[in-house]
Amino acid sequence: MKWPRSPATLLQEGPHIPILISATRFELEEGRAVGLEFPEWRINALVDTGASLTIINPEIAKTCKLRWTGRAKIVAVGGMSGEFPEHAAAISFPGTELPSFDAIRVVACPIIRRPFSCLIGRDVLQKFKFVYDGRTGEVELRAETRTRSGDQD
Amino acid sequence: MATEDVELKTELAVFDQHKPEWLRSNPGEFVVITGTSFAGFYPDYESAFRAGLRAGIKGSFLVKQVCAEDPVYLIY
Repeated sequence: MKWPRSPATLLQEGPHIPILISATRFELEEGRAVGLEFPEWRINALVDTGASLTIINPEIAKTCKLRWTGRAKIVAVGGMSGEFPEHAAAISFPGTELPSFDAIRVVACPIIRRPFSCLIGRDVLQKFKFVYDGRTGEVELRAETRTRSGDQD
Repeated sequence: MATEDVELKTELAVFDQHKPEWLRSNPGEFVVITGTSFAGFYPDYESAFRAGLRAGIKGSFLVKQVCAEDPVYLIY
């Protein structure tokens, strides 16, 4: 899936993509069956190859009622450092055929000085091929499978 | 057993208490803890979380990898 924009825009804004985040599918289905509301939130997420795991603003965890599953030690350059809550979330890529994550760990940590509520980290990127083309402004995520020899299927 | 300890302090204390033996028996696996009970070891976070849900745990529960040192995650 490609997200085209101008090279200047990509340079200015970075590689951001639309995602849908919510509680996990099982929780959504079970909760909605008994009349509970579990909001899904569509946001622009910055693909951050400098982040070892996926970060969300705490407001998202609260609004989407993400279940707390632990604590993570974070060291952020120029920002917050310390222990922050880990939550289980579902992340999908609306309008694409990219595979979704039904229960991935995300850390609720205030994202400061950046106009994004989510940083997509390398834990998500390990499932994809990520292409950043600064010459054309294009950003691409591919979910190719590979054979043992490393050739593409 | 459900837990109301939203900061998971009880569960983290249980983890710390058992960590030495789990480092020998289940290194690298993910354990599910609710209150003072554990709900098994799993190869990854997702299967551990699903197991916690299947066990009918209401509210928060701990999913934690058995490691000698907690990882520190860098955000650049």
